[in-house]
Amino acid sequence: MDRKDFVKILTYIVTSARGCVEEPKIYGPFRLMDTASKMYYMLKDNGLIDDEEIEKIINNIDEKKFSCMTDEQEFISMMDEIIEDLVVVMEQDKE
Amino acid sequence: MANDLMSIIKKRRSVRDYEPKKVSKELLMELIEAAIWAPTGSNIQPWYYIIVKNEGVLEKIKAFSPGLLGDPVNLIVVCTDRKRAFERASILGRDELCLMDISMAAQNIMLLATEKGLGTCAVRSFNKNAVSKILKLPEHISPDLIVSVGYFNKTINTPKRRSVKEVSFFDRWEGGEQ
Repeated sequence: MDRKDFVKILTYIVTSARGCVEEPKIYGPFRLMDTASKMYYMLKDNGLIDDEEIEKIINNIDEKKFSCMTDEQEFISMMDEIIEDLVVVMEQDKE
Repeated sequence: MANDLMSIIKKRRSVRDYEPKKVSKELLMELIEAAIWAPTGSNIQPWYYIIVKNEGVLEKIKAFSPGLLGDPVNLIVVCTDRKRAFERASILGRDELCLMDISMAAQNIMLLATEKGLGTCAVRSFNKNAVSKILKLPEHISPDLIVSVGYFNKTINTPKRRSVKEVSFFDRWEGGEQ
């Protein structure tokens, strides 16, 4: 991951933060979830991660993240689901 | 599906997953041709359209536009000329009419794009100051909307719409003829 990649994600995060001051409230969680996906693929493209289990979680985010605009409850449920999946991942790492 | 106007209106979806294929300059110019025929208050035509195809410019715009999703490779930045709008239609022109005008122009772009088999998405989640600087816009030109344009091949779910009955009244607010 080089400077260019870092600046790209930094710009995205800071611009999102500024935008969230005026944007719909649900866009805050959406931008964070989108950032999670962008970060994963940035690391993957740079050969720093390639994990089937985590990629499955990221795919789930990408598949359902736009529901924040059409079905807020589905979006919230997706986040809860992801958190449960992450608990499993963390537990595995502990062992 | 038929390509009559109502079908095209209903077929248009906000596309957030594009193929990396460039749209031809000719086709993009056709979309702008549709845009300039939109209604415009007092015939001000307070609009400019910056077509972004250059990879470097595109990447910079995307970095400052969290709402531009799905890696579009063609953008139309729809700008208002606030000075022209003010000179021709005072405060109303500068603060309200010009935004309505470009919204209607953007809809023309999106409907023609749909008819041509292209996807679009109208985006306002971008940092105007940054986009102005990247595009080297004069101070009185404001980037107010970005329309991503491109090829796509995924089916997009149709979000629920509030019904005609729910959102319309005859003659007066509620209680009139339905």
